Amino acid sequence: MGIRTALLTGLLMLSCGAQATTAEQVQSFTLDNGMKVMVVEDDTIPNANMYLFWQVGSRNEVPGITGLSHFFEHMMFNGSKHYGPKMFDRTMEAAGGRNNAYTTENLTVYTNWFPATALEVIFSLEADRIAHLNIDAEMVESERGVVDSERRTGLENSNWRVLQEEVKGSAFRAHPYGWSVIGHESDIHAWTLDDLTEYHRTYYAPNNAVVVIAGAVKFDQVKAYAEQYFGPIPAQPAPAEVRTVEPVQTGERRVYVQKASVSSPNLMLAYKVPAAKAGDYYALDLTLSLLTDGNSARLTRALVDEQRLATDVFGYLPLSFDPNLFYLYGIAAPGVDVGNLEAAMIYEINRLAAEPVSDAELEKVKNRKLMSLYEELETQNGLADSLGTYELFFGDHAQLFAAPQAYQAVTAADIQRVAQTYLIKSQRTVGVLAAEEDQD
Amino acid sequence: MKHWMMALTVATLAGCASTQAPKGASDVNVDAEFVVPQLAAAGPAFRLPEYETLVLDNGLTVYLMANSKVPLLTATAVVRAGAVNDSEPGTAALTAEGLLLGTSETDKRALEQTIEGLGASIQAHSGKEGTQISAKFMSKDLETMLPLLAEVLIQPDFPRDEVEKARQRYLAMLDQQKESPRQVVNYYFDSLLYGQHPYANASVGDADAIAALDAFDLKLFHGSWYQPRNTALILSGDFERDEVLALVQRSFGRWRDGDTPTPPDLTRAVTHADGARVLLVDKPDARETTFLIGGAGIARTDPDYVSLQVINTILGGRFTSWLNDALRVNAGLTYGARSGFRPLGQHGSFAISTFTATETTQAALDLALETYQKLWSQGLDQATLDSAKAYVKGQYPPKFETADQLGAQLASMHLYGMGPEQINRFQAEVDALTLDKAQALIERHFPKDNLQFVLIGQAEAIRKLAQGYGEVTEVAITEPGFRF
Repeated sequence: MGIRTALLTGLLMLSCGAQATTAEQVQSFTLDNGMKVMVVEDDTIPNANMYLFWQVGSRNEVPGITGLSHFFEHMMFNGSKHYGPKMFDRTMEAAGGRNNAYTTENLTVYTNWFPATALEVIFSLEADRIAHLNIDAEMVESERGVVDSERRTGLENSNWRVLQEEVKGSAFRAHPYGWSVIGHESDIHAWTLDDLTEYHRTYYAPNNAVVVIAGAVKFDQVKAYAEQYFGPIPAQPAPAEVRTVEPVQTGERRVYVQKASVSSPNLMLAYKVPAAKAGDYYALDLTLSLLTDGNSARLTRALVDEQRLATDVFGYLPLSFDPNLFYLYGIAAPGVDVGNLEAAMIYEINRLAAEPVSDAELEKVKNRKLMSLYEELETQNGLADSLGTYELFFGDHAQLFAAPQAYQAVTAADIQRVAQTYLIKSQRTVGVLAAEEDQD
Repeated sequence: MKHWMMALTVATLAGCASTQAPKGASDVNVDAEFVVPQLAAAGPAFRLPEYETLVLDNGLTVYLMANSKVPLLTATAVVRAGAVNDSEPGTAALTAEGLLLGTSETDKRALEQTIEGLGASIQAHSGKEGTQISAKFMSKDLETMLPLLAEVLIQPDFPRDEVEKARQRYLAMLDQQKESPRQVVNYYFDSLLYGQHPYANASVGDADAIAALDAFDLKLFHGSWYQPRNTALILSGDFERDEVLALVQRSFGRWRDGDTPTPPDLTRAVTHADGARVLLVDKPDARETTFLIGGAGIARTDPDYVSLQVINTILGGRFTSWLNDALRVNAGLTYGARSGFRPLGQHGSFAISTFTATETTQAALDLALETYQKLWSQGLDQATLDSAKAYVKGQYPPKFETADQLGAQLASMHLYGMGPEQINRFQAEVDALTLDKAQALIERHFPKDNLQFVLIGQAEAIRKLAQGYGEVTEVAITEPGFRF
């Protein structure tokens, strides 16, 4: 169902002639080697992008190679058979293109943004590094320094980073979600060329990728290039499944982190929640929105505005292949005891479990989700990123366009149920970051 | 992440008509059969979409730019008042915050319930020279949201208790910003570079001064500067022209114009230091040193603006830039190094920026300076210039893809007194840049002597080496504000 139809039947009447992309405008095909490609023709600007989603992230690592997925992401830019060291970037930038990449617990994603005239150049560059990556020993050593700096600057500039690393480590004692995506410092210094070679062979196989191209392109042209450049790359055996299942948590866990320059304590609450596909994602996402989205959200209203216990609150619910965490974060107001902030935050969470939300409050967060969706559909970049995300985490890119109905279907009883089921003490890990030493 | 996002600061529009093969093609053609593909032929050049400009009887300028890819609308009011208008540093910033604390008709809670209930938002933000109040909403909610934007802009009430709460929170936020060197390093740099000029004022203000502000100060600032003749309203997105114009008249036409005070003289000269200086900001628990090196730059309306964006792309404006190549790719000293001009209405600055582990501070500083000197000692080459030209043209259109981005562009054009022709000739200006002209522009505009440094890090570890770069002044990061 297209988004306009969805809205007319479900949520609201649109005013006039806006033409958002619809599910019908997404065309896709799968190459013989198993690589799935989705295409959206959108000529709002004379540009295009290519997103390559590889199903490998820190969840595929084991102790000793933590952070390797992310490090590998860096190595994908350091030279292949026909485009030697530095030539990937030099060739792309000379063609007017720009790139970046990111690694998460679940995925490694490569992004190229370019004038549509450079489409074939981008295919050539990507195909060469997928099929013929050169892992040069000298580049590996220099890149370790870069990733050291990336890790250090994250910890220097982001309290979230500092605290999340410790909270994850405590919340997961078995599953790989327990270590940070960037990995342990000692592993960054220690992995070998063999580790890298093996990683590329295992995970950078066309059957382990989803590709999205959105922009001022023609489907037939994209398909022809995909067949020409990506088609010859051989499939590989499917990577091993992640075996470890995190044992059930049966009681609250706590961590404390000291950092001298923190001006007032930071508090993180992280609750165990199911994987995205397991069914409660939309209810949990709306729950997060009820708690933290905007000044009228419950935690903001209660803790920042009324009780003045916090200067800021926010939250995060990652899309995830395996059961993961629902994060809430608060920064204590000056002079406030972090224990009081924690108690007040938990009180508001428990209130969601105790009483159903009003229709107006629920409609508010559904409207906010609809705004966000429109914002994603407004850019070529948002389209490509969202389509790939829905394809991977919900198994079908068309789910993106059905999201308004999925949110609409969530009832007050659903919110209450997920709060009662997941946002409870036994499933919680509490993290405190503060300037003072942890003392009795 | 491969690299932290390089903010390309070019602010005009590009086409993408290059038909050349990528540079370096011959270097990579190692297989007899392997050929780097050619670029396809480009379509028509990209231009700023059409828009309409009107002036209401009360002097309010109105820009209308209709487009309807999604059913969203952005309405932005831009007021010519920012940190440069501060008598006490932070007044403009706190006044902008104060707009959303309630009006003479609607209290804060009711405002938030109405706006957020529709999935919409209104945000206010003050910069150095202007304040923007921006409403984003679904186009079906126009009749509710546009009058609300007018209400918060024209008749904020600045209720005493809410102002006090907002002020306390704002002060805490200023302390929190200093936990992250990256968030504050530019404020220190402006303070060092602009000295007694109003451009030295940090857009976020100064904690000491803000501690002394109250509701009355905000009312005074609002009454002085928030006047229709000193404001523009920009509508961008999904709307019908006649319908929206009638609503603009109803909502904003009643706003009575009054006199504004004499604005600060921004054209006055900036007194530049006659020697190299280092501002060393001590953060005792720092793991790394965050630093800027720079000097005077250009104003936004400088005719060389576009050409300098191209040249800076080569030096520090993209991943393969000299600075990033030297400090990151070759030396592994940092996750990223860049440079850029920060143009303002009448003056501007230029700076190199990066960060590195405390122990490698000197190595990174030296390598940054050595790389920078290549602008003069080595100069540019044709292939790299061609590549940079293709790059800035290719990366331009995505900056103007959404109604929100286009609205922000019109706001910036209004503030700096620019017309669409300055936008639409971007491509021609890029194409016209030759090596000779580029070299002359380097001589004219890139600061070569008396460079100014800001280093944020562990003073104890880097105090001594800092003396090698200029006259050192030291300040603790925990001291309020950014003066020294």
